Amino acid sequence: MTAAGPYNPRVLLHFATPAHAGDLKRRYPVELEGKAADSASGSRVVLAAGIDRQVFREVRFRVFGCPHLVAAAEAWCHDAEGRSVTAPCAPAVTDLMALLDIPVEKTGRILVLEDAWQALLKQLDREPITEPTTARHDQQ
Amino acid sequence: MTLLSDSPEIVYLDHAATTPPDPEVVAAMQAVLGPGGTFANPSSIHVAGRRSRRLTEDARAAVARMLNVEPRSIVFTSGATESNNLAIIGAARQRAHRGRHLVTMRTEHKAVVEPFGWLEGEGWSVSWLDPAPDGLLPAGALEAAMRDDTALVSVMHVNNETGVVQDIAAIGELCRSRGILFHCDAAQSAGKLPLDLAGLPVDLLSLTAHKFHGPQGIGALYLADRPDVHIAPLMHGGGQERRLRPGTLPVHLVAGFGRAAERSRERMRDDLARYRKLNDRLWRGISRLPGIHRNGDPATAFPGILNVSAEDVEGESLLLALEPLCVASGSACNSQTGEPSYVLRALGRDDRLAQSAIRFSFGRGTLPADIDFAIGRYRRAIRHLRAMAPPAAA
Repeated sequence: MTAAGPYNPRVLLHFATPAHAGDLKRRYPVELEGKAADSASGSRVVLAAGIDRQVFREVRFRVFGCPHLVAAAEAWCHDAEGRSVTAPCAPAVTDLMALLDIPVEKTGRILVLEDAWQALLKQLDREPITEPTTARHDQQ
Repeated sequence: MTLLSDSPEIVYLDHAATTPPDPEVVAAMQAVLGPGGTFANPSSIHVAGRRSRRLTEDARAAVARMLNVEPRSIVFTSGATESNNLAIIGAARQRAHRGRHLVTMRTEHKAVVEPFGWLEGEGWSVSWLDPAPDGLLPAGALEAAMRDDTALVSVMHVNNETGVVQDIAAIGELCRSRGILFHCDAAQSAGKLPLDLAGLPVDLLSLTAHKFHGPQGIGALYLADRPDVHIAPLMHGGGQERRLRPGTLPVHLVAGFGRAAERSRERMRDDLARYRKLNDRLWRGISRLPGIHRNGDPATAFPGILNVSAEDVEGESLLLALEPLCVASGSACNSQTGEPSYVLRALGRDDRLAQSAIRFSFGRGTLPADIDFAIGRYRRAIRHLRAMAPPAAA
């Protein structure tokens, strides 16, 4: 929370220009999706990831929720892109909440992001990451 | 898509929360506060005090003229919240000998709901009446709730969220026929709709100046000049305001209140006609979007308020995406809680529609261009948020 109001400048920026909102822009050898929801707040999150050569090349979100959740999803996707699937550490929710000055009472809805990410990673366990030697970028 | 960075100037459509003071109101207040102003305590008997006294009594007369009542029936307070508390708690205490049963509606403003809740905690019995889906008090509901020990009924005139206008004449008649005191919270109607209290069976009525282009911090409670209309004061410490509201009157605020009342009398007919046009223009513009619902019955609602809900849109995000358009999500008084509006839920709206509700409200300075800006902003925000949302089944 800032003195200027309930949203810090990063939240306003991410909310106004959510670069990672929407669906995957390209096709990838492996594409995964994770969903989660918080019944108390009605928040819903869908994360989609495109994997190529063992790396999260693109991560996108869809959100029904408050501006803090939208901004957190944007920050999350930005952070996840470029990570290896062998070490897919997600940003800690507490770090994200500190970065974005998210009120503690909104913790439940921000945790939905983590749940969606975990749901996505579970599919990673099931999906064989056997990719062609050349990445499929023909549809880019 | 950049939502927030362009159009930095605000467009204000939140006049049900508060209105900008009329320039003539500001001038009246400056005349009191400025050099040579009428600063003295109106209770003082010296010449300066008498000047202040004259000024406050002129303002009282102006407020009384707006309501078509005698000036001595007007008690100045700090605003409608205080007036409601004074009327409800004061009447309940004064009439406890008659009975300890009270009646009100679930869709009242919190400044009424919470005093009733407090009285309930103190041992009074309260009947909370539900509205019909159109927001109106259902026929027969009040009569069915009345008991031999009912001391007070309180029903608001214009709902602060939906603009629904209750039939206070019929409610008052019923109360009077049963010898029950009737209080009306008119914070959203006084100065905006004709209120001829000489012809209305209302015993107690709350109003506030800042809802009709007067200053914040000043309001009034009207008490009908009838032998059975008595209330107990909540504060003690002086003989001001018929001993019902002790404390030195803020002369500049009272002067501004009086001028605002005069301006409202002059402008009311024209203002109402303009609000109807602005309301129609706004609804026509935004209802072209799919999944938009109007809250409250347009046939009976005050045209200065338009409340709409949108499917598949989160309310807090919508409010931010609408900036620099200044509107309300629910009422300004409870928008900090993030809870869906209890008023809209009482009207039967589900949580998803209630939480997406936006209240647009117009004032004397609202222009058609402001409405066109609001239409464009609302349509853009709805499209943007829906495009970002997961499918409903996700």
